Parts: sequence; structure tokens; C-alpha cells
Amino acid sequence: METIIIDGLSFGLPLFIMAIGGIYSERSGIINLAIEGLQGFGAFFGSLSIILVGHFFDIPLQKLFYLALLLSMFGGMLFSTLHGLLCIKFKANQVISGVVINILSMALTIFLTTQINSIVFGAMSDKFRIGTSNRFTIEFLAKIPIVGAAFKNIYPFQVVILIIAVFAAYVLNKTRFGLRLRACGDNPHSVDAAGVEVSRIQYLAVMISGALSGLGGISFAYSISTNFSPAIYMGYGYLAIAALIFGNWKVLPTFGACLLFGFARSGGYYIAQLLKMPSTFSDLIMILPYVLTLLLLIFFSKANHPPRALGEIYDKGKR
Amino acid sequence: MIRAKMNKAFLKIFGKEEWYLVTIPVFLILLSFIVAAIIIIFLGKNPFLAFYNLLQGSGLAPKPAYGGHKSMLTDFLSLLNYMTPMIFASLSVAIALKGGLFNIGVSGQMLFGGFFATILVGYSGLDWAIAKPLVLIVGIIGGAIIGGLIGLLKHKFNINEVVSSIMFNYIIQYVFSFFIHGYYIDPVSRQSKYISDASRLTLVNVQMFNLKMDLSIGFIIAIILAIAVKVFLDKSRLGFEIKAVGANHKGANYAGINVGRTRVLTMLISGAFAGLAGVTYYLGYFASIQPRVLPSMGFDAIAVALLGNLHSYGIIAASFIISIIDKGSTYMSSKAGVRQEIASVITALILLFSACSVYVQHKIQSKKDNLEYKARKEIK
Repeated sequence: METIIIDGLSFGLPLFIMAIGGIYSERSGIINLAIEGLQGFGAFFGSLSIILVGHFFDIPLQKLFYLALLLSMFGGMLFSTLHGLLCIKFKANQVISGVVINILSMALTIFLTTQINSIVFGAMSDKFRIGTSNRFTIEFLAKIPIVGAAFKNIYPFQVVILIIAVFAAYVLNKTRFGLRLRACGDNPHSVDAAGVEVSRIQYLAVMISGALSGLGGISFAYSISTNFSPAIYMGYGYLAIAALIFGNWKVLPTFGACLLFGFARSGGYYIAQLLKMPSTFSDLIMILPYVLTLLLLIFFSKANHPPRALGEIYDKGKR
Repeated sequence: MIRAKMNKAFLKIFGKEEWYLVTIPVFLILLSFIVAAIIIIFLGKNPFLAFYNLLQGSGLAPKPAYGGHKSMLTDFLSLLNYMTPMIFASLSVAIALKGGLFNIGVSGQMLFGGFFATILVGYSGLDWAIAKPLVLIVGIIGGAIIGGLIGLLKHKFNINEVVSSIMFNYIIQYVFSFFIHGYYIDPVSRQSKYISDASRLTLVNVQMFNLKMDLSIGFIIAIILAIAVKVFLDKSRLGFEIKAVGANHKGANYAGINVGRTRVLTMLISGAFAGLAGVTYYLGYFASIQPRVLPSMGFDAIAVALLGNLHSYGIIAASFIISIIDKGSTYMSSKAGVRQEIASVITALILLFSACSVYVQHKIQSKKDNLEYKARKEIK
């Protein structure tokens, strides 16, 4: 039971922060399917920089944990400007742009990883080893039965994610910027009439979404594999999108959806272990979050209300 | 002054309105290759040599040496063999996009059709005259099932087709990986067992002119079907309905077209083409399935379809170009020492630029208008 909660949280929270990024972008009217690519590029950027810093300044990688988080956010943000440019400036189809960004990110990071590994480290490898992250336990809270497991073996990034998530939810729902952002997704003309540049807010929203995706990506790199490798493109970005659709583009229901995915995944592994299934069955357990997504979407998609101007390119002259 | 002249020359080549369907993709491809060349120069390699190696690797330019029973022709036939599933997959993407649907699940549908064709026909030992058509039929049905299901989910439950097809991609990939690992694995190659030659859609090692060639049956079918798709979209009633729904589904609904039904049918046809791509890929170009891997071709096909302007002939041309990059990259990486992964970067760049094709067209047009305006002013 404890492992289900511990693993479920360490999977669900990175998913959640990526989904919040998606909410920011989509509430501003820009469809963001690029989350998958952005999280990969963010993780790539973060792990590459700490490996280079660690290599040239001889610092143990464990100490660079927070630097990695920060730079991953920066990397994700950097790459997301491309999505912003394509969607807002070049008026590309937003769905296609998102998929293009994903393909480009995957091709580019795999190419650069092997290239940099062979040039800088002289190794044939498509991985950056970034070391494991420390985990900690809050002793007095961990003693509470069942719920206490949530405070056991916490990755530091989980705390960072929670803080940022609360802050992001506050900004989105309670500040003037958040109001304008949401208005961009529902009725951009009203924002324009109020004297605010729509494209500027949309650029910011896409960049925020890139930064948060990058944070999610590096968290996956730390928690699942302790390295950056092409295996990071497991479709978790798409899972985050499913979570936010399921959560009706609102922060709190999305949080629930992400936790559900997390627990479904860890619970599946737990059951497989309990029944002593052979390892080939892990393939069947891997599909649990995806099947769950489909089933939930079947039940909840009808009641969903996406932002009204989602996917439309804002055109000042249009009525 | 020089800039104005360059502008004029540029517009003379690319600015002819009636040729936009050709000139803009060519311009975008040129742009991608320029960017790729910069990357290759940055790596300290000669880009022209690398690009020439791409042509050599795909049988469009002679290699310095060939192995026994091999020549430029065999390389070229192998390119056609590789190109076949690409054409099918891109047609699949194009048909869906014409109907306003984005089928990103082509990879999964390919695997679905390919897997069932492999286990039902590939391992059956049937005679070739029955096996080969049966493979095609199983592929078509398999792909159409998944495609139609995605369309149905969109119609009945309002589920975004992008999300559902991605979920299907993962489910199909893992479930079939489980079955292949469990029942059909070849312990040496770590892939599924090879299918019988009778059921394969490519005739391998055909002896002719003292050469051993791979002849793709699927290629001929692909060309015929590409033309058929064009006729279907241009002339048939359903084709018109698909395009009408894609252009404006509210308008189509108002005109009395059953939007939901048309969408399901669009995805059904799109899925069938993806299934054909799957069988020509897994039971043609290859003869086995690698478990736990989705063919990246299903995603590259999006690039090809966009590059070909969703037009049948354009898609054949675009498949040809992208196949050269894919197929030639192995030879390029061994000869020029440029990593093979650069091929997917080039493809991704082409994709990136073709996503902006509308903007490029708009830019070229406005440049042209500007120039004409100036010229008229000078005359006055």
C-alpha cells in the first residue's frame, strides 16, 4: 500500500505540473500538444548543462540538482518559443505545430545526445547519466497510518512542484494577468478592446507552459531512470493533456486526474508483483494509464467545455 | 540594389501563382537542407559530400564499389520498396486531414494491421496466390477497425481524435509487444519470427541480369491507389462530403451532410490506408515485427502529406524525397561520418518548415504585390 502511494505521487506530480503548463497554454487559446516534446527538450537541456558543469568544474552531480531543475525549465521555455512563433506569428495549424515540435524535439535531442557524448566524453551512448536524487522523509507526519506514506521517501522535486503548482493556480485564478490570460482563450476581442496585446499574453502563456513541462521532464528523468535518454519520450506529455481535458481545463480536477493516473500505474505494478507475474506482463500493465484515459474520456468528454476560442488564431480584423 | 535584384530573381522562380503547389514545397525543402548543411558544416564535415552520399545510398548516384549481385538498380529498387508504405501512410494522413481530422495514430494502425496479417497469414503456410491478397485484406480490415473506432469515439463521445489515437498507439504497442514476446518471438533476432516468403508482399532476391533484386508488389498498388484517391476525392460524392466537412463542418451540416457519419467514414478509409502501410512495411520491406517499437514512419508520414500539399501526386513526390533521406542515411553515416540521426533531424526540419507553408505563401504573395505596386508607380 505504501509503495503505491509513494510511487504514485512521484509519477503523478510531474504529470500534474506538465498539465498545469498545458492549462496555461490552452486557457490562453493556444492548443499545446507540444508538451511531450517540451518536457523531453527541457530534460535534455537540464541534464546536458549539469553534466557539462559537473565535468568541467568537477562538481558532484548530486549537488547540481536544483540547477538541473532550473535549467530544465529554461530549456523547456526556450523550445516553447518555437511553438509560440509557429502558432502566433506564422499562423500554423496549432495541432500540427505541436506534433512537429514533438518530432523535432525527439530527433534533435537524440542526435545531439549521441553527438555530444562522442565529442565531449568520447563515449558511444545515447544517455546522459545525471545520478540519483536524494529522497527524504518527514518523520512525524510519516507515522500517520496510510496517508503518512505520502510523506515518506519524497523526492525534493515533488516539493518544488507543489509550491509552483499552488503559485500557478493562484496566478491563473486570482490575478489580473490570469484573468487576461483566461479571457484570451474565451474571447480575445474583449482583451484587445481592453487595450492589452493578445499575442503578448499568448506568448507568455506558451512559455510558461514550456517551463513547467521542462520541470516535469527533468523530474521524470530523475525519478524513473536516473538518466536522460530517448526513453523519456514515453507519451507522458500526452497523458498530461488527457489529464487536463479530463480535468475540464481547471487546476484542481486536473490534480485529481493526475493522481489517478499515478496510482493506476503504481497499483498495476504492485498487483503484478503480488501475483508474481513474469516480467513480460509488465507490457500489459504499462497500458493501464492509457486505457484508463480512454475510458474516462468516454464518460466525461461530453460534459467538457474547452475554452471557446481554443485553436483559433487571433485575427484583429475578424468579427 | 543587389537585394532588390535578388528579390526579383527569387520571385521569378518561386512567385508564379499557378505553380505554388510545387514551388513552395521545393523552397521549404531547400530551406531545410540549408539548415541541415549548416549543422553539418558546424560538425566539421562537407555537407555536399554528405548529401551526395544520401543519393548514393538510395541508388540515385553510383557508389564507388558494389558487392556481388548488387548495383545502382538494386539500391533503387530497395528505395521503391521502402517508399511503398510511406506512400500509403501519407495518403492515410492526407485523407484524414482533408476531412478535418488529424490521424496521428497511423503508426498504431500500421502495427495493428501488420500484426494480424503476420499471425493470421504470415505464419499460415498458405499458397502465395491466396496468401498475398489475404495479407492485403487483413491489413485493410485491421487498420480500418482502429481508424473507424477513433472516428466513432469522436462522433459518439466527442473525444479529440488526437488524444484517442495517441492512447491507441500506446495500447497497441504494448499489447502486441506482450503477445510477440510471449508467443511469436525469435530468440536470436529478438523480433517476431520471420513470415513465410509466400505471404510476403516483396519478392526478395529475384535473379535478373545477374543481379539479386527486391521487387515490391505493393509499390504498383500504391501508385494505383494514389491515383484512385485523387479521383475519389475529386469526383465521388463521399469525397466531396469529406472535403466539405473538413473545410467547414457547420456549413456541411447546414447543407445536409451527416457530419458524424462522414467523419467515421473518413477515419475508416484513413485507417484502411494505414493498414496497407502496415502490411507493406512489416510483410513487405521487413518480414518480422520488432516488439515495443512503433514505426516512426507513421509520424514522418505527416511531414510527407503536408509537404505534398495533401495531393496524391505531391505525396508520391514527397515520399520519394523523404525516403531518399531515410534510406541514404545509413550509407551517409558510414561514408561521411555524419551520424545517422541527422536524417530524422532533416525530416523534422522539413516538417517544421512545411507547417509554415501558408505563411510562406502569404509572404511571397505580398512581396510580389509590393514589387508590382512599385513597378506600376515608376511607370506613372
